Amino acid sequence: MLGKKIDEFMYYVPFLKEVIKRDFKKKYYKSVLGVAWSMLSPLLMMIVITIIFSTIFKRNIPYYPSYWLGGNLLFAFVMDGTNGAMNSVIHNASLIKKMKIPNYFFCISSVTQHFITMLFSLVPYFLVSIIIGVPFNPYMFLIFFPIILAYIFTIGLGMFLCAYGTFLRDLNYLYNIFRRVWLYVTPIFYPIDIIPENYRFMFELNPLYIYISIFRDFAMNGKMPSERMLIVATFYSILTLILGIVTFKEKEDRFFLYI
Amino acid sequence: MIDLSNEAVEIVNPVINESLRTGDFYDDDEDVCVDVKNVSVMFNLSRNREDGLKEYFINMIKGKVGYDEFWALRNVSLKVHKGDAIALIGRNGSGKSTLLKTIAGIIKPTRGTVEVTGTIAPLIEMSGGFDRSLSARENIFLVGAMHGHTRKYMKKRFDEIIEFAELEKFVDVPIKNYSSGMIARLGFAVATCVNADIIIADEVLAVGDAQFRMKCESRIQEMLKGGTTILYVSHSAAQVKKLCRTAVWLDKGCVVDIGSAGDMCDRYMQSIKKESED
Repeated sequence: MLGKKIDEFMYYVPFLKEVIKRDFKKKYYKSVLGVAWSMLSPLLMMIVITIIFSTIFKRNIPYYPSYWLGGNLLFAFVMDGTNGAMNSVIHNASLIKKMKIPNYFFCISSVTQHFITMLFSLVPYFLVSIIIGVPFNPYMFLIFFPIILAYIFTIGLGMFLCAYGTFLRDLNYLYNIFRRVWLYVTPIFYPIDIIPENYRFMFELNPLYIYISIFRDFAMNGKMPSERMLIVATFYSILTLILGIVTFKEKEDRFFLYI
Repeated sequence: MIDLSNEAVEIVNPVINESLRTGDFYDDDEDVCVDVKNVSVMFNLSRNREDGLKEYFINMIKGKVGYDEFWALRNVSLKVHKGDAIALIGRNGSGKSTLLKTIAGIIKPTRGTVEVTGTIAPLIEMSGGFDRSLSARENIFLVGAMHGHTRKYMKKRFDEIIEFAELEKFVDVPIKNYSSGMIARLGFAVATCVNADIIIADEVLAVGDAQFRMKCESRIQEMLKGGTTILYVSHSAAQVKKLCRTAVWLDKGCVVDIGSAGDMCDRYMQSIKKESED
């Protein structure tokens, strides 16, 4: 059973590549700078955010531009990826109605496209870090661990949202609001220290906070995050992926009636 | 739970059994490549489409979250042998396209099973999965990839496809600017070049000009000789008779009869004549 699924996956790998290429082409259609925007826009945003917030949080956060960029990098990826995956089946309706392609591929391609965009924005992240003098440390090579975990988490959550979003278009609007709330409860532009000690456990329920702080520990603070943090992060990713796959599988047979 | 009207069952069963008995088309089961067994497909005709949460809850409270059931296919059974050319004939809305989509794996049957051996290239509504904002070049690679072919492989077949579709001048034009005939030509060229075992052609030859139709017909003949199976929908009796040995006559989602293409077409035309006279 599993072997058959893997064969199927391998069969559609060229398709996945083509669709991602297509999506990139469409995203930057007729834009002069094209993919460069995935590096430029976080930089420009960083300048604005740094001007506004670094005066407020200056004493608490060293290397504020890197602090924000690193957090935003993962956060934006998860938000865009899940949102894209939620709508992926609807957007590819004309294809799904004419060809036999496993529906989950559209979720994966959408998330992967945003994943690649995020990899691009690692370039300005490290450039800024070098410029503002974040010291080099060997842990920096481990940043791919939280990034991969966030990728798995995004696919899982994206498939879950897609399974329901295809039937109920309202989910789009609801999720939009939810995303805004999520942004404020995740310490991206503010330090976790401003939250009173006894409320901090609530932040650990937020998978994004965990991925981001692991990322920051590796890339900026040059230290190993606590074991508990790493285990919880892995647990969140795998659990979300399973949830996504199970929900998606249950719903996907009826997709074609709603697209 | 699912209520198939008695009428449907009555029509289907004796006919299937009869053609099984005659043995003309079901002589052996060894090289069956498409096996459709008692397939029924139900669509929900939403009375009021619940696209919004509010409406959904309002209707749920009123107890109106319901649909009118529409059976697009009722208890259809069909066996296709390797290398066969089978035509589906019948009026609009008789379930031809639904049957093709079910065989292609795009629609999952509500009841019954479809077993397919080999790969399928579906050409549904002319274009098998084209993206209208991309050029012919990009679409060829995209559709090739849907059939599991890498860019490298498709590059080898690229010139052949463009030459067959006669689109040399328009390779890099987005296909949304193409005429329907051009899209149909490209669709046919790609579908016949991806080395699929089974080709599903839904109304593809309807839009091409006479010259291209002839080209397609000879390509189909060639492929049939090479062992490709073709499932074909057309409203042109002449074409069906020319290309296919067997025809399946569908009406209101039921198989009326399966038999030789000539015979089926004649009887189908007769029934239409009779109906319009009444």
